[in-house]
Amino acid sequence: MSISPTSARSRRARLAAVATIGALSLSLVAACGSGGGSSSNGADSGPVTITFWGWAKGTQDVVNAFNSSHKDVQVTFQQIPSGVAGGYAKITDAVKAGNAPDVFNVEYAALPDFVSQGAVQDITKLVPDSLKAKYLPQSVELTTLAGKSWGLPLDASPQALFYRKDLFAQAGITTPPTTWDEYLADAQKLKQAEPNTRIGTFFPDDPSTLEALSWQNGAHWFTGVGDTWNVALNSPETKRVTDYWQQLVSNDLVRVQTSFSQQWVASLQKGETAAYVGAAWGGGVLQSDLASSPGAAGKWAVAPVPSWDGKPASGMLGGTTFAVSKDSKKAKAAVEFATWATTTPEGIQARIASGTSSLFPADPELVPTAKSAFKTDFYGGQDIYSVFVDESKAILPDWQWGPAMSVANSTMSDAFGKLGSGGTIGAAVDAAQQSTVNALKTRGLKVAQ
Amino acid sequence: MTRSRSAAPPRGDNAASRAATVRRRGRSGAPALLIAPFLLLFTAVMLVPIGYAVYLSLFTEQRSGLGFGDARTVFTGFGNYARALGDSAYRTGFLTIVQYCVLYIPVMLGLSLLAALLLDSVLARAKRFFQLALFLPHAVPGIIAALVWTYLYTPGISPVIGALNSAGSHLDLLGHPLPAVVNMAVWEWTGYNMVIFYAALQAIPREVLEASVVDGAGPLRTALSIKVPLIRASITMVGMFTVIGSLQLFTEPMIMYRTAPAVVSSWTPNMFAYTAAFDRDDYGLAAASSVMLALVAAALSFIVTRLTRGRTERRAEAAA
Repeated sequence: MSISPTSARSRRARLAAVATIGALSLSLVAACGSGGGSSSNGADSGPVTITFWGWAKGTQDVVNAFNSSHKDVQVTFQQIPSGVAGGYAKITDAVKAGNAPDVFNVEYAALPDFVSQGAVQDITKLVPDSLKAKYLPQSVELTTLAGKSWGLPLDASPQALFYRKDLFAQAGITTPPTTWDEYLADAQKLKQAEPNTRIGTFFPDDPSTLEALSWQNGAHWFTGVGDTWNVALNSPETKRVTDYWQQLVSNDLVRVQTSFSQQWVASLQKGETAAYVGAAWGGGVLQSDLASSPGAAGKWAVAPVPSWDGKPASGMLGGTTFAVSKDSKKAKAAVEFATWATTTPEGIQARIASGTSSLFPADPELVPTAKSAFKTDFYGGQDIYSVFVDESKAILPDWQWGPAMSVANSTMSDAFGKLGSGGTIGAAVDAAQQSTVNALKTRGLKVAQ
Repeated sequence: MTRSRSAAPPRGDNAASRAATVRRRGRSGAPALLIAPFLLLFTAVMLVPIGYAVYLSLFTEQRSGLGFGDARTVFTGFGNYARALGDSAYRTGFLTIVQYCVLYIPVMLGLSLLAALLLDSVLARAKRFFQLALFLPHAVPGIIAALVWTYLYTPGISPVIGALNSAGSHLDLLGHPLPAVVNMAVWEWTGYNMVIFYAALQAIPREVLEASVVDGAGPLRTALSIKVPLIRASITMVGMFTVIGSLQLFTEPMIMYRTAPAVVSSWTPNMFAYTAAFDRDDYGLAAASSVMLALVAAALSFIVTRLTRGRTERRAEAAA
């Protein structure tokens, strides 16, 4: 093959073009990497600009409202995937690489991991007792580790049962289940009435529902005693929950589908899944996921999550905090923003009014604000916040998350992948107990089982 | 070079030797200059990261109390390596790769060889079109391809699975990730390797083919007994490169990971390292498992180069 002079020239031109594009994209990367951290050094007169990563519904609206009402601090928001869907990995990478945002969202369950990894800044000095007193005590407990404050709680997430009134009625179910025995019976009724309908879903990718249900049944997965972690993932309280759900899965009474996947949404749209064991924030997620499906609005309702003895009991399923990254030099501004977003009516109002969030504020005084901002058309005008208020009072106290939840969670979701081929939910929790203990010991921590 | 030297006008001995020195110095300078950019990049993007990974793999982080204080970095020697090897998830990852290769390589090689032979046969029409059409999937970035395929695999939303279900077949590809991933890889790489085989086929001397026709061989006989043996070197090379590439399997299963519960976080050794680093924050373990993966790949590459070099040398001897 010979290259004619013209083709050689055009090739050179192309190379030059490629080189230019390469240089451009490099400078773009550099621009992204610096993350807008230039405007704050020293005591200059301009506003402090902080960067913020999060994924909670309605966050963009909150940031917009903050920016338009504040002159001294401005927030640059970047939407990231939810924690388990890769958001946490992204934050961890950024912290290691030294280009982390000033403030980011992290769930209660993941906060100890982040603190233990040294990714989060101790903000004890910036959180006065008067601020702490505003939040639900359970939320404050979960953001206080080793006596120090590591984050500001955004929401408490009492559990709730979301269900389709029409499908339940078709199956002859007049009131939503109040106990897990009733839930099982209703699952059978629904399947009998319509062979393609299931009462709920087991999420094999995300063990957080199982964790909340264990919490609801009085389990304590982690207890810090002195300088020793008591790890009890597979305690009898948890085992009761895992056996129960294994029965539902084995008898094909619930679906096994990835959480919040297209597949899950499609089965909700088709009425093939009639209910969802979630938490307060799930109301907004459900509503926005089903926004485009005709006829869904008005058919859904919310009930307290079933319990074992019929008395109200709840764990916390998810729940988000604002944490300041280790190397941020703008912790004061970050805490100012987080305080505004979690404890002012304006901050909560902006989030709920987005129509995608139904979170239960960790500051109980703001519940009326959330309630009046939430449009209840999707739930046929039901006062869903009164259900959440009752459930929030039933959240069992003294639950602790340990610093190896990422290990526990990935072990469990890996093992849940074998549910179709001989694996069980109980075996997955046993495996998680083992790997969690090993992980803590590898880090040189004392563990009791 | 030789010609230019002999063409130089005769000069005095002194001048000639001086010129030779200059030329020699120039000759050693030019390669250094030409190789410098490569060496610089190679050092920056290969040697330094590998060195850093080896360094990381020898340390682990220790904490005290409940684990919320500052971490101490402790030298563990080969402790991380022992932990990786002792983890059945890591070993299972290699087993997955072996199963993947057993299923993927024969299918992909067979299909691309078939396509190349068909294109090379006299019967083929619109060669350029088919070449491009078959190559096109390779031009789609792996992540995009994986996303599209995952969509097509997902029951409830995939039109393909929907059609199969209504036809009475219940294909559960998300529950059986190996064929699902192999299918993506075949789609992506068949066209690419077909181009390599086609180029090799084009290089076969026409007189050999003419001789086979004169001897009465039909198109099928020519393809199997003449063409395939003559491009055996390319086939071996592609096969070996595919094995080495398969060790790096990451993108497709990583995309499927969140959708298909059967794809676990440590499905391949690369995913094991990724999860260790970015999910479990265990950089020592991640580095150790990556270094061992790199060693396996290096060993395989060494074997491949030895094998292929041996082959060409043998052929050169046979020709002489």
